[in-house]
Amino acid sequence: MRQVAVLGVGMHPWGKFPNRSVTEMCRHAIDAALADAGVPWREIQAVAAASSRFSGGKGWGLNGNDVVEDLGPTGIPVYNLSAGCAAGGNAFNVGHALVAGGIYDVVLVVGGEKMPRGFIQTSGVDEETDLEYLRQKSVGMPGPAFWAALCRRRMAEYGTTERQLAMIAVKAHRVGAHNANARFRQEFTVEDVLGSALVSDPLRLYEICPVSDGAAALILCTAEVARRHSRRPVWVASSSVATARFDDGLPRALGSVVPAHGRTHHSEAAQAVRKAFDAAGVGPKDLDLVELQDNTVYYELAFPEDWGLCEPGEAERLVESGDTLPTGRLPINPSGGFLCFGEATTAMGVFQACELTWQLRGEAGARQVPGARVGLAQTLGLGGNGTALILKQ
Amino acid sequence: MGKSLPVAEGLFALTDAGPRLLGSTCSGCKASYFPRTSSCRNPECDGGELEAVEFGPRGTLWSYAVQNYAPPPPAKYDEPYVPYALGVVDLPGGIRVVGRMTRADPAALRIGGEVELVLEALCRTADGDDLISWKFRPL
Repeated sequence: MRQVAVLGVGMHPWGKFPNRSVTEMCRHAIDAALADAGVPWREIQAVAAASSRFSGGKGWGLNGNDVVEDLGPTGIPVYNLSAGCAAGGNAFNVGHALVAGGIYDVVLVVGGEKMPRGFIQTSGVDEETDLEYLRQKSVGMPGPAFWAALCRRRMAEYGTTERQLAMIAVKAHRVGAHNANARFRQEFTVEDVLGSALVSDPLRLYEICPVSDGAAALILCTAEVARRHSRRPVWVASSSVATARFDDGLPRALGSVVPAHGRTHHSEAAQAVRKAFDAAGVGPKDLDLVELQDNTVYYELAFPEDWGLCEPGEAERLVESGDTLPTGRLPINPSGGFLCFGEATTAMGVFQACELTWQLRGEAGARQVPGARVGLAQTLGLGGNGTALILKQ
Repeated sequence: MGKSLPVAEGLFALTDAGPRLLGSTCSGCKASYFPRTSSCRNPECDGGELEAVEFGPRGTLWSYAVQNYAPPPPAKYDEPYVPYALGVVDLPGGIRVVGRMTRADPAALRIGGEVELVLEALCRTADGDDLISWKFRPL
């Protein structure tokens, strides 16, 4: 395996852009990433793109082909990766593998998405053989209700309070307010959050992520190329992908086996993170920051302990003590996370890698984690897809 | 007079003993499935026959949530939308299933509490038929 560097990153701001196509947004992000890397488009040797669920890609998820046609067809190979909301993480993983495995020296990773208004329909097909479709038709339990049920269980097990849940949203907006690429940049009080509408009791509007349009891109390359272009490249310590295990007890589809041993948890994410730790040769104590998929404030409590970053039941105290702020002991989502950006589903894994890169370069401004050297990012998506990556200075 | 129509075929039945969910259990590893399946998906299982089984009527509420907003398609509900509660229920046989609760008030729901399977209408169709699904009633 060859060493792989993140040579350049770029992002289109997150928000609602009704008059701009997903390909235009991707181009904005790619142009920024190419300029940041100091590499012209014609030197990109391959593209690993997240397949959008809702936009572009000729309806076939061919978003990488859209990008190549737009930037100038050079004949390079394109890999379009579909993994639900984990697609951006999968694209990063394939891009990394192409460089690490010696296939290509300079690879573009890109993810862009334009989301329809309002709450999204989980399944993309109207077929009763599709269990996700059947779940929504016969029960009607969309994503927020799924998160709410997990959160309610935690409240019963650990005594988590509604105030503690609200504090996570307050923290997110306190840091996200400083991120020019974030969609929601206002700060909230605990009372503001607790006064927002219940979306799925116990979760409120400001405690779940809305949907947004967004695009992010980055250039991966070999150490040799990196040293030619940059004095201080950011390195990929590891990148991993996993899928859910049979017996993790999560209430997916209509039914799952009750786990005989162990806890109910997102096994796809936990496995991806563990694989990323193993491959990087680092552990939870080495992390200076984490960008995790906060579709809901609940994940910011469940994931850190699921991955060994803190003890079970300790996450609430980390939030209360300010330890998850950029200046804290375990900074979580200094970007502002999904709560401040809104989820442009398939772009999020690339967005996270961009944020880690800025943090590790010390370019994150008012949201900078002081002295950040090692960062972890994680996504998960429909189908039981999970991804993780670790970047280091 | 409208008819009672199942929201989907093959998921539940009103048996002589009452409402049941239609699932499968593997003869090899005893893993349970809902809906029915033709092969065991437990990677630790060396193979077994899938036997048709019925789950219910009593179970334990593992957790719950309230669907405060009208869910996107293909969810079924009567207009104007009235929030309903959702349960995650562990049933004997080692299966964890999701289902609507008969009561929306979270104060009526308790994690670890006993619930009972019932068959009830999700909504009335434009033709005046009741669209039936399984639900859980807190006991």
